[in-house]
Amino acid sequence: MVLLAIIIGCVLGAIIGINAPMISYTYSSYLAIAVIAALDTVFGGIASVVNKKFDIKIFITGFFGNAILAILLTMLGEKLNVDIYLAAIVVFVWRMFINLAIIRRYYVEKWSNKFSKKDKEKNVEEDEEIAKKTNQN
Amino acid sequence: MTKLKNSIVLGLMCVLLTFGIFLQMRTVENSNVKVSQNYEENNLRAEVLKFKEKYDNEQKLLEKAENQLEKERESATKNNSELEDAEISIKKANKMIGLSEVKGPGVIVTLKDSQKNMANVMNIADFIVHDLDILSVINELKNAGAEAISINDERVVTTSAILCDGNVVSINKEKVGVPFVIKAIGLPEGLAALDRPGGYLQYLRQYDIEASLEKSNEITIPKYNGKLEFSYAKSLESSN
Repeated sequence: MVLLAIIIGCVLGAIIGINAPMISYTYSSYLAIAVIAALDTVFGGIASVVNKKFDIKIFITGFFGNAILAILLTMLGEKLNVDIYLAAIVVFVWRMFINLAIIRRYYVEKWSNKFSKKDKEKNVEEDEEIAKKTNQN
Repeated sequence: MTKLKNSIVLGLMCVLLTFGIFLQMRTVENSNVKVSQNYEENNLRAEVLKFKEKYDNEQKLLEKAENQLEKERESATKNNSELEDAEISIKKANKMIGLSEVKGPGVIVTLKDSQKNMANVMNIADFIVHDLDILSVINELKNAGAEAISINDERVVTTSAILCDGNVVSINKEKVGVPFVIKAIGLPEGLAALDRPGGYLQYLRQYDIEASLEKSNEITIPKYNGKLEFSYAKSLESSN
């Protein structure tokens, strides 16, 4: 159900985004930083699902809060002539990598556990067969 | 119930996120087209256009006045053979010093910068057309008997200077860029000797500069738009 909602949402968003009227180039830097912030929150959400600490309230507030904060910081940076958005990008991408690492570890462990279990079962079966054969002999 | 809520919220967020991503992608794609990015630039551009329009209007007025002058002169010299001779000599002189449009057979020389990839050449300056190249071509054309010459519709007159002006070349104090189209009126066969083996065009082609020469039976060369006036050179009394 969750997966279905995500897929439908993505497709719908893509269609709206392609057909929507374009924004002016001046505002595109704000949109870019908001998109990065939102992506960071999504990866954080997946990581928290993996850790079984997922909370929808924190997820929603993070999604909008991070995006708005990033936009505000970018605007402030423009006023002060400091490229604050660079710092925001560094932080967000950093966290994205950390979250991706958590997700990766989780799945790698899951798979390796599965395979080792299978191997153990196989080994046990082989041992039993060998034992049977020796018994027969 | 909470699962339904969660999936609806997640779906909505995905809508927002992908919407943002695609909007941004489209904006970035379209920003390759040069649009002016600020208000000030727009204003400056508008002002330049305004001045250009003004200039064009003045030019038209000037042309009208010149036509009128011509007519007046013609009507004034109609019944006077002496004045008619003077009129003819004025016309002849105007044609020779470049103050009237001329037409006739000749050649068209086109010079274009090399299309070579500039990233892997030693000296970029070798592969572009310089003011001196144009000067040499014009010198050779004059030597071959060209009677009227223009570069990108700038008439070459006695006071014309051909100078390097950064990325462009200035001729008659007007900036002119590549491709340089040099038109010359004269005996086409004679002028076409510019393209002889070992000639200047061949020399330019060694550097991959695209130099072409084309004979034509009907070339129009515009008149000089500036002012020809001598303030230091005075005529001698005896020559009058």
